[in-house]
Amino acid sequence: MIAALGRPAPARTAFAEARFLRMLDRPLVVSGELAWLGGDRLEREVRAPRAERYSIADGKVTQQRPGQAPRQFALGRAPQLQVLLDSFVALLSGDGERLQQAFAVHASGEASAAWRLSLTPRDAKVARSVAGIVIDGRAGEAHCMQVREADGDLSIDLLGALAADMPTQPTVETLQALCDGAR
Amino acid sequence: MGRGARFGLLLGWLLALAALGWLIGQRLHVTTDLRSFMPAPTTPDQRLLLDQLGSGPASRLLLLAIDGAPPAQLTALSRRLATSLAGDPRYSEVLNGNLDLGTLDPGLLPYRYLLSPTLDSQPLDEAFLADQLQQRVDDLSSPGASLLKPLLPRDPTLEVLKLAESWAPPHTPELRDGVWFSARDGALLLVQTAAAGFDPGAQEAAVAGIEQAFAALPDRGEAKLALSGPGYFSVVLGAQTRHQAEWIGRVSTVGFVLLLLLAYRSVRSLLLSALPIASAALAGIAALTLVYPQVHGITLAFGFTLLGVAQEYPIRVLSHRRAGEDAVASVRSLWPLLLTAIASACIAYLAFYASGVAGLQQLAVFTIVGLLVAGFSTRYLLVHLLPRRVHDVADLRWLARARQWVDHLPRPAWVPLLVGALIVGLLAVAPGPFWQNDLAALTPLPPSLLQRDARLREALGAPDVRYLLVLQAPTAQGVLALSQSLQGRADALVARHAVDALELPSRYLPPVALQRQRQARLPDRATLQYELQQALQGLPFQPGLFAPFVADVEAARHLPPLTPAQFERSPLGQRLAAMLVEQDGQWFGLASVSGVHDVAALQALGEGSHGDVRLLDLKAASEALVATYRSRILHALLGAALLLVLTIGVALRSARRAWHVLAPMTLATFLVLAVERVAGIEISLFHLVALILAGGLGLHYALFFERDTGEPAEQRRTLHATLVCVLSALLVFGMLAWATIPVLRAIGLTVGLGVAFHFCLSILMAPHADAAEK
Repeated sequence: MIAALGRPAPARTAFAEARFLRMLDRPLVVSGELAWLGGDRLEREVRAPRAERYSIADGKVTQQRPGQAPRQFALGRAPQLQVLLDSFVALLSGDGERLQQAFAVHASGEASAAWRLSLTPRDAKVARSVAGIVIDGRAGEAHCMQVREADGDLSIDLLGALAADMPTQPTVETLQALCDGAR
Repeated sequence: MGRGARFGLLLGWLLALAALGWLIGQRLHVTTDLRSFMPAPTTPDQRLLLDQLGSGPASRLLLLAIDGAPPAQLTALSRRLATSLAGDPRYSEVLNGNLDLGTLDPGLLPYRYLLSPTLDSQPLDEAFLADQLQQRVDDLSSPGASLLKPLLPRDPTLEVLKLAESWAPPHTPELRDGVWFSARDGALLLVQTAAAGFDPGAQEAAVAGIEQAFAALPDRGEAKLALSGPGYFSVVLGAQTRHQAEWIGRVSTVGFVLLLLLAYRSVRSLLLSALPIASAALAGIAALTLVYPQVHGITLAFGFTLLGVAQEYPIRVLSHRRAGEDAVASVRSLWPLLLTAIASACIAYLAFYASGVAGLQQLAVFTIVGLLVAGFSTRYLLVHLLPRRVHDVADLRWLARARQWVDHLPRPAWVPLLVGALIVGLLAVAPGPFWQNDLAALTPLPPSLLQRDARLREALGAPDVRYLLVLQAPTAQGVLALSQSLQGRADALVARHAVDALELPSRYLPPVALQRQRQARLPDRATLQYELQQALQGLPFQPGLFAPFVADVEAARHLPPLTPAQFERSPLGQRLAAMLVEQDGQWFGLASVSGVHDVAALQALGEGSHGDVRLLDLKAASEALVATYRSRILHALLGAALLLVLTIGVALRSARRAWHVLAPMTLATFLVLAVERVAGIEISLFHLVALILAGGLGLHYALFFERDTGEPAEQRRTLHATLVCVLSALLVFGMLAWATIPVLRAIGLTVGLGVAFHFCLSILMAPHADAAEK
């Protein structure tokens, strides 16, 4: 099934993300574009509400904001990014083996129709920060990605065409309904 | 003496040697720290220099590179090596780029508002807080959010991160998988040893520890570990020098044994004549261990060299034996002269004891005890053990011819004048500086090692080992204030690339006065709460989230300012402790510089400070120290020469006879100097020590050639003994002259030339045999 999801680099997709954090009284919503540039190089470009670009290459992360000097830190310091890299790149390159290496994978549905992948990180350090990932899709495309953090915080990404459907005031329930509907 | 008594004597002697060996094994503690061999420093800079040679941060730094495997494997190895070294007490700091953001002691967390410069330009008001909080919202929506979430409630302005960033090494390599990495050299690490930098023994243990830790890592594959830095270099040089010295030593020992077998044709004599030398060495070391708590490695090295004189005592006895005569009888006529030689050498070495330099005093104790033991054990022990019947060398036909030839050599009175003029002439035209003060020039490093060191040093931003900016004030706070006042100019120097980085102590801890200023700018609880409330308008943070922040700011307002003593107890304190030292009631700040491109600009930092800020050139200072040291040795030598003149004059009871002994010795010594100088050799401490040894040997030649026994056979034996002595010295030291390491060559060449010149001049300037007979 995963092999069917593969596509050649560079691959770009629109995304809209809602993040539900316990320390905030309402979700944070951002949108932009995710790009896989081949290999382990990934770019996450946020266009709204404020421009910001994260690029991952050679195990390091560069954060750029307009009007600020770029900041760099090691990929190992940001388990969320590690998870994003492992899952996203594995999916886009159709590399099931890599996915199996990083996660315990539970797949349901059919590759040609609606499907769901549930991923649990194998690395103990990553698992301390990220509890699990659920990716929903239909045929050769992923539509929805939910990342649940170990502390209970949740972020839900709508991908591709679905990104345009992000409500202005999302709730976990409406987004999960969107994900399920897209399947 | 009967067979049983002789056996008993031999057994007793060997047992005594074994006992000395046991005593040494129990008590000997060799130190290799160069500082304890140096003279007491006289200027504050020299004192700082000695301190820096040992405990300075730059000299204790080892640079590591792991290369030869795919990058992912190298970075994994870097992490595992750092983990494995981190708990080892031999290393005070292990860095590989994986910076720990928790470097600020949790107990010191409220101090962040006094340490961070943020509030100097920026009050904690609504506008600032609103901007910061909006940025935090953006941070939380970014993929790196999990890093920040734990910090946020306590530190919404991220002062801890700003401090960690400002404390990070100013100029670091690229990061790859979270560790330092350079395309050329692989994964890079910095290790600070706990031991002093110029203590080769301790550095050897530290280097071996790193190599073992690396060898024990799993999945190394083809990866290789390369080291660099002053400590590693001292280990490499020590091993290199030892290896070459041992190799040459083995060859010359074989030659020496063959020579003695050829000369005396008795294995037993050969074995027995090793006993006085062994006794001398063991007794000398034993005496040192009884007098001094620590024996310096250089004392032992120099001491063994100087003990070479004692080799002559058994040789003289063996050559002067007559056929059928008991060795005890043979030695009787020889002893007064031998005693004169031993006594004058010992008295001369007393001058070294009077020099007041610890290393030279140890040298004097070692050599005086050694020479006395060698001499007296030859006279009172060895002679009883030597086999009774030997052939008389005086009957050798070639020796008779040689003696005849020597006796008929012309000995014109103008020889000393000619040699003296030659010396003056040679010294006058000699090129280059007379003295070599850079001891490192005697043990040069392979250029490939130096190039790699420069490359790693630049990549890692490691401090320069030569320059150090010194800040001086009566108090630690004074130094910190001075340091703070220099910060702007230092930043300007870095900005215009005069230096790559200049690390001032106030970077870690601002002076108390500045901390108080920052404290005064902190708002009180009510004000802060109000400003925060306003700033939070329209932002999604839960109410009450920032209560820990408000509490920390309130705590910071009432904290007593952080002192160096308090700060030094924190994990980062070691760095400040190394940069802030007290000496003789004065405080010194040591700012390390890296990548020096413009020395003059750095020096200009000290202008107008009346010497309170100065650039210390460790190379120049250490050369000045060596020059001081040399002048002490020269003074000691002058004293030794005067004592020698007196001793010889008294022993021979004749100014004319004393002249025949001392003049050739003096002229030969200066001739060696002159010849080496003309050959372009700059004279170092090692040359001086070698000259002293050659002088001791030359004294023997001159004393024995001057001796008039009135008996041709005895004169032949003297020539035989001297020839064996000269040849054996040429064998042992002449071999060293071929070494590729300059320090070994210096000793070998000097002693070799010295022996040759002393021999020739003592023959040419001896009283003529015919004249003596008339």
